[in-house]
Amino acid sequence: MIPVTTHWKHWLLAAPLTLALSAAPHAETVARYGISMADIPLTTGQPDRGAGAYQFTGHTLYDPLIAWEANIGTRPGKLVPGLATEWKVDAKDNKVWRFTLRRGVKFHDGSDFKADAVVWNLDKVLNDKSPQFDAKQSAQVRPRIPSIASFKKIDDYTVEITTKSVDALFPYQLPWFLIGSPAQWDKLGHDWAKVATQPSGTGPFKLDKLVPRERADLVKNAAYWDKTRIAKTDRIVLIPIPDAVTRANALLNGQVDIIETPPPDVMPQLVAQKFKIVQNVTPHVWPYHFSTQPGSPWTDLRVRKAVNLAVDRDAIVKLLGGQAVVAKGQLDKSSPWFGKPAFDLKYDLPAARALMAQAGFTKANPLKAKIIIAQGGTGQMLSLPMNEFIQQSLAEIDIQVEFEVVELENLYLHWRSGAKSEMNAGKGITAINLGYVTADPFYALTRFAAAKYIAPNGVNWGGYDNPKVNDAIDKIGATFDTKEQDKLLTFVHEQMVNDALMLWVVHDTNPHAMSPKVKQFVQAQHWFQDLTTIGM
Amino acid sequence: MLAYLFKRLLYTLPIALGVTLVSFTLVYLAPGDPLNAIAPADAPADVIETLKATYGLDRPMPVRYALWLTRALHGDLGASIATGRSVASEVLSAAGNTLLLAAVAAVAGVGIGCVLGALAGYHAGGWVDRIASAVSVVGVSVPHYWLGLVLTIVFSVKLGWLPAMGAGPGGSGEWLWDADHLSCLILPAATLSVIPMGIITRTVRALVADTVNQEFVVALRARGLSSAAVFRHVAKNAAPTVLAVAGLQVGYLMGGSILVETVFAWPGTGFLLNTAIFQRDIPLLQGIILVLCLFFVALNLLVDLAQPLLDPRIRRA
Amino acid sequence: MPTAVVALVLASPAAAPRRGYWHGVARQLARNPVAVVSASLLLLIVLAALFAPWLAPADPYKASMIRRLLPIGSVGHLLGSDELGRDMLTRLMYGGRLSLLMGVLPVLFAFVIGTSIGVIAGYVGGWVNMAIMRTFDVFYAFPSVLLAVAIAGALGPGMSNSLIALTLVFVPQVVRVAESVTTQVRQLDYVDAARLSGAGPLSIIRVHVLGNVLGPVFVYATGLVSVSLILASGLSFLGLGVKPPEAEWGLMLNTLRSAIYINPTLAALPGAMIFVTSMAFNLLADGVRSAMDIRL
Repeated sequence: MIPVTTHWKHWLLAAPLTLALSAAPHAETVARYGISMADIPLTTGQPDRGAGAYQFTGHTLYDPLIAWEANIGTRPGKLVPGLATEWKVDAKDNKVWRFTLRRGVKFHDGSDFKADAVVWNLDKVLNDKSPQFDAKQSAQVRPRIPSIASFKKIDDYTVEITTKSVDALFPYQLPWFLIGSPAQWDKLGHDWAKVATQPSGTGPFKLDKLVPRERADLVKNAAYWDKTRIAKTDRIVLIPIPDAVTRANALLNGQVDIIETPPPDVMPQLVAQKFKIVQNVTPHVWPYHFSTQPGSPWTDLRVRKAVNLAVDRDAIVKLLGGQAVVAKGQLDKSSPWFGKPAFDLKYDLPAARALMAQAGFTKANPLKAKIIIAQGGTGQMLSLPMNEFIQQSLAEIDIQVEFEVVELENLYLHWRSGAKSEMNAGKGITAINLGYVTADPFYALTRFAAAKYIAPNGVNWGGYDNPKVNDAIDKIGATFDTKEQDKLLTFVHEQMVNDALMLWVVHDTNPHAMSPKVKQFVQAQHWFQDLTTIGM
Repeated sequence: MLAYLFKRLLYTLPIALGVTLVSFTLVYLAPGDPLNAIAPADAPADVIETLKATYGLDRPMPVRYALWLTRALHGDLGASIATGRSVASEVLSAAGNTLLLAAVAAVAGVGIGCVLGALAGYHAGGWVDRIASAVSVVGVSVPHYWLGLVLTIVFSVKLGWLPAMGAGPGGSGEWLWDADHLSCLILPAATLSVIPMGIITRTVRALVADTVNQEFVVALRARGLSSAAVFRHVAKNAAPTVLAVAGLQVGYLMGGSILVETVFAWPGTGFLLNTAIFQRDIPLLQGIILVLCLFFVALNLLVDLAQPLLDPRIRRA
Repeated sequence: MPTAVVALVLASPAAAPRRGYWHGVARQLARNPVAVVSASLLLLIVLAALFAPWLAPADPYKASMIRRLLPIGSVGHLLGSDELGRDMLTRLMYGGRLSLLMGVLPVLFAFVIGTSIGVIAGYVGGWVNMAIMRTFDVFYAFPSVLLAVAIAGALGPGMSNSLIALTLVFVPQVVRVAESVTTQVRQLDYVDAARLSGAGPLSIIRVHVLGNVLGPVFVYATGLVSVSLILASGLSFLGLGVKPPEAEWGLMLNTLRSAIYINPTLAALPGAMIFVTSMAFNLLADGVRSAMDIRL
């Protein structure tokens, strides 16, 4: 029998303890992510700052109709249902695609996701007469969805999109197009600047705080419609740190928990201090994209080939501490569309010199060219040292390269406007150095090789126009037979390599460094990464 | 006194106006069409028309300047072409961070400089003097961006005591005077303080050495006045000049912080300036220059006005 | 500060230059150990830079990936190699050429241009003086670093743009000193006498004014060289001055930043060169000043 006095004393002691334990809030798990951009990418729907920005303020806050499976690392991902559960091309008219939309999805602001929202978002970026048209977002995504001709709502859960021509590769364009909430835009007085700080999408994260140029707080959306992809961390803080050394410093000092692209020279230190380095095969290539417009020094095929033979790619891989793969073409050798190009990319200085001599360039009469490059940033790898090395390599074959160095976002402007534009040709810029995503046939091949994608209709920057390739690409779009597609895609790749369309240097492996506090992170074989996989 | 105040103000106005003129002309320094300097390349036709009208690009130069100035006086410095945000708001929030850094660096630099300079001047010719002089020469000769790098190597990379970047966990929006934030401030402020320290040490040393040897001080000493009292006299004589130099140093630090801020990624006006330059964001560039220089002009004015208060003998022409 | 400078500079008696004067200065200088050491060091640096093409052990542009970031004292690379495998000693010597050039040229230009304008303003006086001085006052309102960066930023990267930017930064300062001294000298009795005896303004300037002005302005300018050196390298550090693959101390400091983890001493070398050169200039300038009996 327990004396009452002892009993209630115990209880008195126990009560606060139990209250404390039960009342103690579940401590919020926070991951701080040092990103390589110079500023937080746009949060209004379509991120700026490149493909690498979609993982931060694109696929976190929003969803596309067709998504890319980014939470798998062991194999390349594929197209999976996003806000559209099904998509079919019309049997009679192959230009019409019908999308069945997902039911029961709500935007962060509580409004329902229905077909109206899809049409509204398409108008937002394609119809400049619509009140919600946002020039900024349109500029970002338009080049990525060049096939869309028109669209209409069929009923609340069905939408039809018509393409300009029959295009079997059209679905690959859709992971880039994101769906934002029309109701939110209405509520905030039709002001996109306000939407930037209070965005509303359907995605696995909500935006809690935005301090321009310094941080953005993504918090878990516990009510996300895809229960297999609920975020494992409560809060992810994005911190822009464009300088790679500073970024590495921040990780080493514990100011952040994860960073992307640490400088290779810091790797030994990171490994020594027990940080984890994660890399993966990444569909990416680091090239010089040549202008083949009249007046450009690169119109001569011999020169383009010479350049591809003058660079010691193994040395560059060494510079990158092994975090890159030598390029043999636009695609990695393991790609099903690599084919058997006749032109073999390797380091062969005598052959390069011979070609240059044939083209009429000597030490006394060098070729002079201006190339626009970035200071750094996502996909650009170790921009300045790599470019300096190439500059030296090309000097060996009588090519004098001058650089125009700009910030990455500025580089994208030059990219979208094409080689013929005032901002490029007008300033004597005849080649652009920009890391390219090569994840799918459109992204890897057709967008660079088809004449129909010359600016302003796409990103065939150099103005490459080869009738045989144009033909093949049109056929690829028209055929829904994957075997036939593969044959044609292989042909296109072989042509690109044989025509030395670009100087291909290396493929990136997109390294990330993480502190031991990060328990889980799945790195996909893509520039899209799924931040819901980050677990602390 | 009032007349003096009025005269100084009158004098400052044309300088301020001149500063605005120089900031305005920066757009036209950039090679190429000024329209490219202010409009985003992707801008649709109607945005370009609006910009043309707002900046008066199809009107003569003086009109353009007048339009720009009127808007600037109303606080509208245009929109950054990289982000679309208002230049005024970006510059002002960044300026807050730089002011914090500059103020701390100035206090540290001037403080140490005064102490070192006074010691050196008092014991002119002795070993204290030599050490202080050496320190001050180092202070004005060292490239501060290099010093920042060296300090980062020692304290951040090798010892791991202090963070190497940023303004604290919350970013600039949430400055608190706590350990986390202060640890981010230490290295950049120490680096920046080296410049005023060098100059102040020299100035104070010269003044103190001069004053100490002047007849009235010798006379005071002869009459048996204590060292402390002598020191007070010396300080009073030296104060106006030190104040002038110190005040100007704060201005120089505010204006010249770009190098240190770049090394430490401190989110101030210098860092913003760096970003604006590489993004070819001319409106942002103009806005930063304008705000910083007007601040410097105002500071000069304040210093000029404060001097006669401290020493009635001073009347600058 | 410049007003104080001018005031103290003028504290020295303005006398017509004597031929033996400069000999005296040189002798005074030789007795100052700090000045002598500084002068010798500077001479060494300047000679190494000047004769770099003949003295340097390697090609400053030849890169080699396998020989990246070798430590100081490696075989064949006395001071190690940089992030692209180029020999550091060679790059530092070649870098000296551009850094010194970028440091000295703007001051030289500012000296010539600034003295001319300042003397004219000071001699003519009146509203011409007002107009000129008030115009330069505006530029005085800009902190030097800010003005240099703003002009270089607007003009774009490149050596010539940086030279222009830096010259524009220093001219107002030189003008101020020159004008101040000229105004003082103009009021002296013997200058008045020369004018009354019918001598033309140009001969008066040449004979009486210049002799007195050049000294203080020269002294002021020597103080500017180290500032110019640091500022010029700073511009390259930011990416605004010299462009790769040229060797320049500030640019090298920038590109070697990532090496602070592998080899911090190497990464700090270019900055150390700027520091040493700048300090040598300052100490020498100090020595010259005290030898010329002018205090600052």
